[in-house]
Amino acid sequence: MSQNGRRAVIVGVATSDYPKLPEMSEHAVHGQAADRALADAGLTMAGVDGFASTGFFPMYATGVAEYLGLHPTYYDETNAGGASFEVLAEHAAYAIEAGAAEVVLITYGSIQLSQMGRRLGTGGGGGSGFAPGPAIYDALWGNTLVGSYALAARRHMDQFGTTAEQLASVAVTMRAHAAGNPQAQERDPITVEDVVSSRLVADPLHKLDCCVISDGGGACVMTTAERAADLETTPIYVLGAAHATTHHMNISSMPDLTVSPAAQCGPLAFARAGIGPAEIDVAQLYDSFTITVVLTVEDLGFCAKGEGGAFVENGGLGLGGRLPTNTDGGGLSACHPGMRGMFLIVEAVRQLRGQGGATQVPDARIAVAHGTGGMLSTGATLILGKEAP
Amino acid sequence: MSERWFPDEMPVPAVNAETNGWWEAAAHHRLVVQRCTACGATRHPPGPVCPTCRSTASEWSELPGTGSVFTYTVVRQAFIPSLADRIPYVVIAVELDGAEGARMVSNLIDIDPSDVAIGMRVDVVWEDMGPHLALPRFRPAADAKESER
Repeated sequence: MSQNGRRAVIVGVATSDYPKLPEMSEHAVHGQAADRALADAGLTMAGVDGFASTGFFPMYATGVAEYLGLHPTYYDETNAGGASFEVLAEHAAYAIEAGAAEVVLITYGSIQLSQMGRRLGTGGGGGSGFAPGPAIYDALWGNTLVGSYALAARRHMDQFGTTAEQLASVAVTMRAHAAGNPQAQERDPITVEDVVSSRLVADPLHKLDCCVISDGGGACVMTTAERAADLETTPIYVLGAAHATTHHMNISSMPDLTVSPAAQCGPLAFARAGIGPAEIDVAQLYDSFTITVVLTVEDLGFCAKGEGGAFVENGGLGLGGRLPTNTDGGGLSACHPGMRGMFLIVEAVRQLRGQGGATQVPDARIAVAHGTGGMLSTGATLILGKEAP
Repeated sequence: MSERWFPDEMPVPAVNAETNGWWEAAAHHRLVVQRCTACGATRHPPGPVCPTCRSTASEWSELPGTGSVFTYTVVRQAFIPSLADRIPYVVIAVELDGAEGARMVSNLIDIDPSDVAIGMRVDVVWEDMGPHLALPRFRPAADAKESER
């Protein structure tokens, strides 16, 4: 991607403290992540002219900008659920390359766990009362968030023979990676047997097929490659990006429950980057549930539709596997504060810089970060590289 | 009042002019789908414009109340306290006969959750949830039971 000789790069990334922040406000999480990401970039708030963030109420980004003391002339708060931060980074890249912004700060913060307690994301319409908008057509029949992903998982199993053990292997690999992440919420190793014998929340999804619920946040700083040349940090290039949506919040409105929006935006992002899936060294794939990852590896083209189960099993997503994925432990084990797309970007950049620690993929040069939001409703793909295209 | 399967505390719909026809029919135990009178496509949930041809003209088309299970799950965690003694219950996405392309989320009742299968034939059954609110749920089709014998 580039325009007018301007090329967007990521120059700073950080996570906030996580996974439990009972003493912090949501804005404080944004602030901590922002300060760390700017320090990582070698920049200060004074140089930031663009800002992006999103959360669960209107004019969210402007509220965070005020808290941070920013008066940005570019801002964005596109909400695509879990895919939001990949979309915000894509938009920021376009803005930077068009000359509409010089330095864009993107922050995420959530204290979902401390604020709501452990509701485990099973809420349908938020309990009794009027079901808002599209939730009507699920909540009245007792369908839940986990239930919606379970409907997709069951369909995939029926159509392609995917097994509970194959789904479980995703959780097992994420947990193995989390062991190398001192901040991760869950670090004790688990087996496929542990997953399939854990409590069923909504068949076929067990407790350990579901992400953890956390507090936490992150931030990234983007600017031009030209500006980055004056900074100490290793710039990471946005090689290609795309996003897509197929439906809002009713899983029954999803055209095909086994095909996520990644099937649209994945190929687009690869085409824009001028590379193919085979050139990806490390992947950060939204893992709200184990089935989310299986659908994503298929839809991004790492394997054929229906072969995701075989692709992920036996350590397929592990270090040295077919596609090292979620090297920080992912949402299944490390941290899932509600919309963890920012964590995907941070970990992808760390891997490309060689800062992956215990789970560093040797000589990682090209990474993909793919967010998934809603009820498999939105997808957004970012392809990042350590070298200029 | 009908037989009851779900508690009074379930969420209730916020109905508007675009969706009222569907809920009104349901209140009278009539399962309908919104059909575009320009191109004939059916859609659910109800909405103001045909996503196929953009026409705003539509009618509430009565369905036979039969269909098949497209996919299912068994919800085992209560999201409101009064569901605690109703779990596990079966949530299905059902493909309705006469409404091609329009699936709806509902429940399969009167069945052991371990007996549910994709493709299973189902018949509508109504649950009166309040004075003017009835919800279509489904039970295994009578003829399917016959053919199994």
